[in-house]
Amino acid sequence: MNEFIEQFLLEARELTEQATSDLLALEDSPTDKERLDSAFRAFHTLKGSAGIVDFAAMARALHAAEDVLARVRAGKAPITTALIGEALGCLDQVAQWLDQMQVDGEPPAKAEAVADSIVARFAASAAHDAPTPLPTETAWLDDLLVRAEAFSGKVRTAVRYTPASDCFFRGEDPAAVISALPGLVVLDLESNGPLEPLGSLDPFACRLVISALSTAPGEELAQFLRPHGDEIVVRSLIEQADGDGDGAMPATARTLLEAQLGLLAESEEDGRPGRVAAAGRVAANVFHHLRRTADAERIEQSVDAEDLARAIAAIIGGPADREPAPAAASAELVATAQEARVLRVDVERIDGLVKLVGELTVLKNALGHAAGQARDGADATALAATLKDQHARLTRLTAALQQSVLGIRVLPLRHVFQRFSRLVREMAAAGGKSVRLVTEGEATEADKAIVESLFEPLLHMVRNALDHGVEPAHEREAAGKPPTATVRLRGMREGDHVLVDVEDDGRGIDVGRVRRMAAERGVAAPEAISAMSDEEAADLIFAPGFSTASEVTNASGRGVGMDAVRTSIRRLGGTVHLSNRPGLGVRVRVTLPFTVMMTRLMIVEAGGEAFGLPMEAVVETVKVARDRIAPLGAMRAIVLRDRTVPVLDLAEALGEARAAPPSADAILVVVAVEGQLGALEVDRLGERIDVMLKPMDGLLAGMPGVAGTTLLGDGRVLIVLDLAELLR
Amino acid sequence: MSVHLTEDGRIALEGDSGLDDAEPLLLLISANSGASVDWRDCTGAHAAILQILMASRAPLIGPPQNVYLSDVVEPALRRYNERGFPRAV
Repeated sequence: MNEFIEQFLLEARELTEQATSDLLALEDSPTDKERLDSAFRAFHTLKGSAGIVDFAAMARALHAAEDVLARVRAGKAPITTALIGEALGCLDQVAQWLDQMQVDGEPPAKAEAVADSIVARFAASAAHDAPTPLPTETAWLDDLLVRAEAFSGKVRTAVRYTPASDCFFRGEDPAAVISALPGLVVLDLESNGPLEPLGSLDPFACRLVISALSTAPGEELAQFLRPHGDEIVVRSLIEQADGDGDGAMPATARTLLEAQLGLLAESEEDGRPGRVAAAGRVAANVFHHLRRTADAERIEQSVDAEDLARAIAAIIGGPADREPAPAAASAELVATAQEARVLRVDVERIDGLVKLVGELTVLKNALGHAAGQARDGADATALAATLKDQHARLTRLTAALQQSVLGIRVLPLRHVFQRFSRLVREMAAAGGKSVRLVTEGEATEADKAIVESLFEPLLHMVRNALDHGVEPAHEREAAGKPPTATVRLRGMREGDHVLVDVEDDGRGIDVGRVRRMAAERGVAAPEAISAMSDEEAADLIFAPGFSTASEVTNASGRGVGMDAVRTSIRRLGGTVHLSNRPGLGVRVRVTLPFTVMMTRLMIVEAGGEAFGLPMEAVVETVKVARDRIAPLGAMRAIVLRDRTVPVLDLAEALGEARAAPPSADAILVVVAVEGQLGALEVDRLGERIDVMLKPMDGLLAGMPGVAGTTLLGDGRVLIVLDLAELLR
Repeated sequence: MSVHLTEDGRIALEGDSGLDDAEPLLLLISANSGASVDWRDCTGAHAAILQILMASRAPLIGPPQNVYLSDVVEPALRRYNERGFPRAV
C-alpha cells in the first residue's frame, strides 16, 4: 500500500471519529455552534482527502452530507434527529469503505451504487427541510402504495425523481426518461409548488416531481436515474432478505478447512477418533473466528467423520446455508471488534526509547568485547565477573525498555467509551426507552489490549442495564424518577488497576426473583441459595446458566448471560463486582490490571511438561506426605491450616500421562481463584519468571484452560494455564 | 407533431407532442378556457406538455393510442386533477 493511502486511512479514521462524536453531541444540544462547525469541517476535510486518493464515490457521498450540514449552518434548515441519523449512517458507510481499503489500498469496487443511495437519502432529507410547510415526506409513498396493491408482491422499489428546472433547455425530457424506467408499473405526477395561475406558467421551466413504482431493484433504478438529475429518492419496499451478500471466506480459513477435509478422508484407522475430534475442533474454531456461529454449531453437532466432512464441505461449498442477518444488523455491525491499528505516541516517549536503544548498543559492544576475551583465553573468574555485571546492566535495561514500551501501548478509555453513545442511542430507540449516556474519566489510560477487549463485556453490561434495569418512562415517573434514565460509564485509575463502572438508575435487581430463578434453573442448591446474603444472591446473575430475561430481546439474551462478562473480564486478569440498590439502580464495577503484558509466572512440571501458573494466584507451595490427601467423594482433598482444600492432579487434569511413579511425598501448589482455594499436585517446582504474556488470538482464542503462551530462555513454548477454568 | 383547435372546440394533440408544442398548447388552453384536450391520436408527450395539462386541469378525452400514455400517464394525470390542489412536496 502506498504511503498516501496509509496516511489517508489514518486521517480519515480520525475524522470519522471526530464527526461521529460531534454529531452525537449535536443531537443532545442542537444549538451548539462549535460542534456543528467541527462536524462540518470534518466532513469537508474527509471529502477533500477522498478526492485526493481518487475515491470519487466516497467524495460524492460526503459531499451530499456536507451540503446538508452547510444548509444547517446557514440557518436554512433545522437540525433534526433524522438528519443526524443520515449523517451517522454516511459515516458508518465511510468506515466500512476504509476497512475495505485497508485490505488492498484500492477503493472498493461496489461503492458507486452505495454512494448513490446515500446521496439520494440526503436529497430526500433536503426536500424534507425545504421551507415549504407540511413536510410530509412519505405522503408520496403512501399514495403510491395504494396503487401498488394491484401489483402486490411484484413491486420492489419506489422512486421519486425531481428533474432540474432547466432540464428542458438541456434537451432532456423527464417524461421520456421515466417511460424507460426499468420495471415501471405505476406513475404519479406532482408539481413542485403550485402551477397555477396558468397565465404565469413558464412552459419551459420544469416544475414536475415524478414518482413511480417499479418491479426492478433499487440499485438498478438509482443507476438508471443518476444521469438525469440530482434529486432522486429510491426506497426499497421489500425487506432485504439476502443479508450482506458477503459470503467470501479468507483464504487462510478456507485452506485450514480443506486441510481438515483431507485429514478426515485419510483411511488409516490408527488414531482415527482423535483425528476426527481434532478436525472438528479446528473447523469449529475457524467458524467462531469468522463469527459464523451457526456454521460453528453445525460442526460441533456433527457426530462422526462422514457427518463432519459433509458439514464442512457444504459450508465451504457456498454461503447458501448461512444464518440470515439479524434484524438489529446495524447495531451488530458496529459491535464487531474494532482494533486501533495505529497509535499516536508522544514524541518524548519515543525519545526515551531512542536513548535506551543507545545504551543497549553500548552493552552489545561490551558483550562482543567479552566474547573476544573468552576466545583469547582470558581468566575465567574475571570473565565471569564481567559477564555478571553485563547481565545486571542488561536486566536493568530490559526492565526500562519494557516499561517504556508498555507506556507506548496505552490507550485512553475514550477509544471504547465513544462507541457507546451511538449504540446506546440505537438500543434505547429499539427498546422504546429514553436513555441518556454519561461518560466520565474517558482520559483514563490502560493497556491497548485491555481497552480493546473491554468493548464486548461493556456492551453486554450496557445492554443488560438497558433491557432489564431501565424501566419504561411511565414506570419511572410513577416511581418519582426523571423519565429519562441515565447510564453512566466511568473510568478511574487506582494504583496498578483501572476501574470501569457501568451504572444505571433503573429498577435495580429483584433479589428475591434472582433467588427463585437461580433455584429453578439449578444454578446452585436451594439451601445454598437461601443461605446467601442479598449481595451474594444478586451476584448469581453472573453464574453460568443464569439469565433473568423472561423474554429474549434482540439486544441481550440469546442464551449468553452475564457469565460471559465475568469470563471475559477474568481472562483479562480482572474482576467484576456488583452493587445493587433495589429501586435505585445497579453498578457493576470492573477492576482490571493496568497492563496485561507483564505477568510473573511460576513454572511447574507435570506429566513431563512445563506449565506456567500466574504468580498472583499462588498462595503457597507445600510438600506433604501422600497419605494426608484423602478421597472426598469423587475428588481428593487435604486439610491445610484447618481448611479443606480440594486437590487436583495437574497432569491428569490436562490429560497428560504421569511421567514418574507417585513418590512418597506430594508437591502441591495452593492457589486462590475468586476466593476459593485449590491445590494442584505437580511433579516439580521450577523457577519464577517475568514474561510478556501473549494472549491467544485468532484460531486459538477459544481454547479453554489456557491463558496464553510465552517463550522460555531455551526457546521452548510455555503454556500458561487459566486456573479459574481449570478449577471450575 | 401537431396541436390545433378543432371545429367543435376541442384542443387536439396529435402524433408525438414535443417541447415545440408546449407554447402553442399553453396559448390555446389559455385562450379557450374550459376546452377539453383530445389526445386520442397522441403517440408521445413531452414532460412540458404534461406539465401544461396538469396546470390547466383541462378535461382529457382519451385514451391515447400509445399504451404507455394510456395505461401509465393518463391515470397519473387523472389522479392529479382529482386531487384538485397541488400537494406540498
